[in-house]
Amino acid sequence: MPPRLTCSARSSIGRALQRTTASSTRIPVLVAQGTAGVTSRQYATTGSPVPLAGLRLPDDYIPPTQPPSARRPEQRKAQLLRAYTAMLRSTPLILFFQHNNLTAVEWAAVRRELRAALAEVPPPVAGPDGVVPADISSSIELQVLRTRMFSVACKIVDYFKAEDQVHKSNAYTHDLSKTAYETIKGATVDESSTYGQISPLIIGPVAAVTFPSVSPAHLAAVLKVLAPSPPTFPAPTRRKSPGYHDPIAQSGFHKLILVGGRIENKAFDNDGVKWVGGIEGGLEGLRAQLVYLLQSAGLGLTAALEGHSKGLWLALEGRRTQLEEEANGGKKESDAASETSA
Amino acid sequence: MITRFITEVNTRFNPFSMRSRATRLFLSYLPPNARATGVQINMTLLPRASAEPSTLSVKFKDGKELKLDGETLGIKGIIEEVDRHSRALQKQADLADG
Repeated sequence: MPPRLTCSARSSIGRALQRTTASSTRIPVLVAQGTAGVTSRQYATTGSPVPLAGLRLPDDYIPPTQPPSARRPEQRKAQLLRAYTAMLRSTPLILFFQHNNLTAVEWAAVRRELRAALAEVPPPVAGPDGVVPADISSSIELQVLRTRMFSVACKIVDYFKAEDQVHKSNAYTHDLSKTAYETIKGATVDESSTYGQISPLIIGPVAAVTFPSVSPAHLAAVLKVLAPSPPTFPAPTRRKSPGYHDPIAQSGFHKLILVGGRIENKAFDNDGVKWVGGIEGGLEGLRAQLVYLLQSAGLGLTAALEGHSKGLWLALEGRRTQLEEEANGGKKESDAASETSA
Repeated sequence: MITRFITEVNTRFNPFSMRSRATRLFLSYLPPNARATGVQINMTLLPRASAEPSTLSVKFKDGKELKLDGETLGIKGIIEEVDRHSRALQKQADLADG
């Protein structure tokens, strides 16, 4: 026996009734059909007294079979997934740390020291066009990830391209849509792809430090605090930041392991992250190095090209003065001039 | 997991390898106060390109050193092996106390 109700109440009602923004009634007006006073059974097709256009659901109608979630919005999985995909799309530099059973006070100490170290990074200077880039130190955050959701979000970001889906009849192309789900379900993960390399990192307890832009100065400051390695990234000294050497903070730092990073959609290991952190002066510094390289090459080239003509001119000039000295009275002035011109 | 009798943990793993998973997870099984209670924990991270297998060795208070292969045992197997020896030590300690 087929079910009496072929689809859910919400969808069938929603399809049948037109919602208008002007609705003010709280109760679904379907009930209004009963007011016609007809005792016999009445079907919608036999010309109901209330026209269909007049039947509408209130805009804030909540279907009884699908009550709103009781979870806090930021903890809902849908919201978490959206937050992670948005973060992955907008964050060029993420560092992944494994955190092994940090206590709440240790987290507080770690965050405090991170904040203190970032506050010491000098603010960005104005570029050549006079625009001062935004100071990102206040937006660098250390957050614990829900690894499974984050892994799925990584996969969506890497494999699901909403632009490719536009021509399809299914119009839903957001990250929570069925299209996105089917895309990542059918995707074959390649070892060399970004997701293939990132996914082993996101195992177990993982926290992430997110940077809104690639700034080696800030990256170096974070590395000095969270993953110090003496020659290039020494830990802060005891005199300069006593809070860093606090036993609680120290035990917190011991439990954080830098496992890797994701920089500009590429997976980087420890050495790669340290290499990026070691770029002097950031992107501007790299640009300055390039400009210097090009300029010095140009100087060498012009000097080399100039050399011959300069030598020729010097030789001729020397010859002219010599001839002038020989003539001494202007007797053979014209000859010297003709020689020089030849 | 019984961690009372562990004195030293040495790990060496490549986080970019899926097979180092059990070794990494073992570190997260150590209690928050492990270092404060005298357990020495050494970690070495291998670079991404290295194909070295991940290693895990656990030393106990009686001097026994367990070398565990996380790649074949898995995290459950590691915990089982460590607990197997810890339980024997626990038994001895209980008898000595009682």
